[in-house]
Amino acid sequence: MSDKVDVVVIGAGLAGLAAAYHLADAGIETIVVERGDFPGSKNVTGGRLYLHPVRPFFPSDFWNDAPFERAVVKEKLTVLADRASASLEFSSDKFRDEPRHSFTVLRAKFDQWLADQASAKGALIISKNKVDDLIYDGGRVVGVKATDSELLCDCVVVADGALSFLAEKAKMRAARAPRDYAVGVKEIIELPARTIEDRFGVGAGEGAAQLFFGAITAGMLGGGFLYTNRESISLGMVVSIEALAHHEPHIETPELMETLKARAEIAPLIDGGNLVEYSAHVIPEGGIRALPQLVGDGILLAGDAAGLGLNMGITVRGMDFALASGALAARAIKDALSHPERNAVESKEGAQSQDSPLPAASLAAYTQSLRDCFVLKDLQTFAAMPNVLDNARMYTKYPEAIVNILEKMFWIGREPKDKLSATVLREAVKGFGNLDAVRDVVGMLRV
Amino acid sequence: MDIIVCLKQVPDLQQIRIKRETREPVLEGAPFVFGAFEKNALEAAVRLKEKHGGKVIALALGTPKLKENILEALAMGADEAVLLTEPAFAGGGAVGTANALAAAIRKIGKFDLILMGEGSADNYSGQIIARVAELLDLPQITYVRELQMTNNRIHATRDLEDVLEIVEADLPVVVSATSELNTPRLPPLTAILRASKKPIAIWSPSDLSLAKEQVGASVAAVKTLSNLAPEQERKQILFEGDVDKAADELVKALQKEGAV
Repeated sequence: MSDKVDVVVIGAGLAGLAAAYHLADAGIETIVVERGDFPGSKNVTGGRLYLHPVRPFFPSDFWNDAPFERAVVKEKLTVLADRASASLEFSSDKFRDEPRHSFTVLRAKFDQWLADQASAKGALIISKNKVDDLIYDGGRVVGVKATDSELLCDCVVVADGALSFLAEKAKMRAARAPRDYAVGVKEIIELPARTIEDRFGVGAGEGAAQLFFGAITAGMLGGGFLYTNRESISLGMVVSIEALAHHEPHIETPELMETLKARAEIAPLIDGGNLVEYSAHVIPEGGIRALPQLVGDGILLAGDAAGLGLNMGITVRGMDFALASGALAARAIKDALSHPERNAVESKEGAQSQDSPLPAASLAAYTQSLRDCFVLKDLQTFAAMPNVLDNARMYTKYPEAIVNILEKMFWIGREPKDKLSATVLREAVKGFGNLDAVRDVVGMLRV
Repeated sequence: MDIIVCLKQVPDLQQIRIKRETREPVLEGAPFVFGAFEKNALEAAVRLKEKHGGKVIALALGTPKLKENILEALAMGADEAVLLTEPAFAGGGAVGTANALAAAIRKIGKFDLILMGEGSADNYSGQIIARVAELLDLPQITYVRELQMTNNRIHATRDLEDVLEIVEADLPVVVSATSELNTPRLPPLTAILRASKKPIAIWSPSDLSLAKEQVGASVAAVKTLSNLAPEQERKQILFEGDVDKAADELVKALQKEGAV
């Protein structure tokens, strides 16, 4: 006799664990299979989690005990030219309002906590086990295959991350191309809490987030990021894989990372720190264009596996999408399992139908609910973003133009200075007064 | 034959790092696991059961997280589990732990063999087997690398580093396992699922008729004054500039150190 449960969730990341939490909470027998040593062991974020979008999907006190690092109260955007940079810093008391807007997180810790919440509801989380394939019966997914064992279920939630070979095997999406992904690299640099608070000018428990654009990616689509954790700094960058593949001369991400760390704008921030972790991960950046089929017979995709990542230029999001999509997947499965029609069929056909997977039609509410909420709405709104950002001028010419204007404004030399307005106008025309720039601005207006 | 296997929950040593400034181990974020020797003991127990029948009881001491960790032991083949997860048991060192285990074994009552690892994965004091055997007034066979049972007698090969000692004993007996004893099985997914349905009992000190003075931090005979990683001196020399020249300099420096 084969073993059978109601739902198998593949991957103990945010999408999988959010799904498991809600499924178990509804009394649905749920197993999460994670190939890493423990939930979070293979997961990487920049990172920061925006909480407001996901609050409606969890109990109001859910996040009270979450192991967040720091509440972000300061945002900084830095445009880097070769030898100069311009920054815009924004802070607002609105970021201090309860409940908080966003927190920095470290996934190894955060995912274990989320797994504990799902376990407490009754989900069984099995680490160090890899699902190799799905089990099909007439094109419908009826279970999963792992080493030495097969497990049947009514529905599989595929939340195995950005590369999701299972989604590909299930023919939910075509094989992905380099342009669908970016690569993210990150270092965690340990520093005393007090040093972090002094360097970034934030209070105890408060944090800063900083994004970098320009020369650091050598003309390639991407950027750098810095997030303050409790006793460490997450510093890294994201670069388009396709851009990296075609870059002349050939360049590796660790080289870009070293250049970033050596920049005068960054070196003092991490000075004296202790590098304790280095990680790299792929990030789905195909946007709405690369969206896979989200639902099939007995199967749902959630989180990165569903391509739910969004590069909005000034922010990169994925974790909030993962949490929301996991919760919505659970809701759709719960409704489908308890649908009167299904139960009517089951009682008619007797025990046989206990093994019948949930038909795609009964899970269609999942896709619709993603469309109705911020997840697919935001992906739709920023549909043009990948094209706008994939433009070398954004990383080379414009940062140079911006710092040129500022340099002319701030520099006092031997010569008498022009009027400020004349300087700004002349440099702005030099940098932006051409057809390409006009076209780029028009492009930007689309997002 | 009924076998009790004693298991200690320890933080996964591979996930522990050392804080550079203080040289203290950082336990935060390190998940709990069972030590490798304990898995050898459990594997041996399950193999004996598979050959001779009976049941295997996993007896474990640790944090409330044990309820999840124990699934691995149950999936490997233990039939039921007894957990000692009350905070009152914590910090008792070898004395408190042995008191708790012996009392739990007495409460289980029926057993032919007690198996444990040669030492724990974290402290490796190796005292528990001797203490438990003494408290229960049972013979003990330590550092076992081969184990068979014929006609209700245990035949064991003890690994004493420079010699191998072959001993026999009547049941019941306490045995400690070395890593040479076997290769513990990796339980498949379905075994873990089935394990989640096996019986788990959680006993407190009062269930074991143990007084406060017999377990926990107050009975610990050894006090840990400090637990720091050894100091590591790094030369921190960086060879910069032309790659070929820098490589030559690096080789020279290594030769000077006698490293190559």
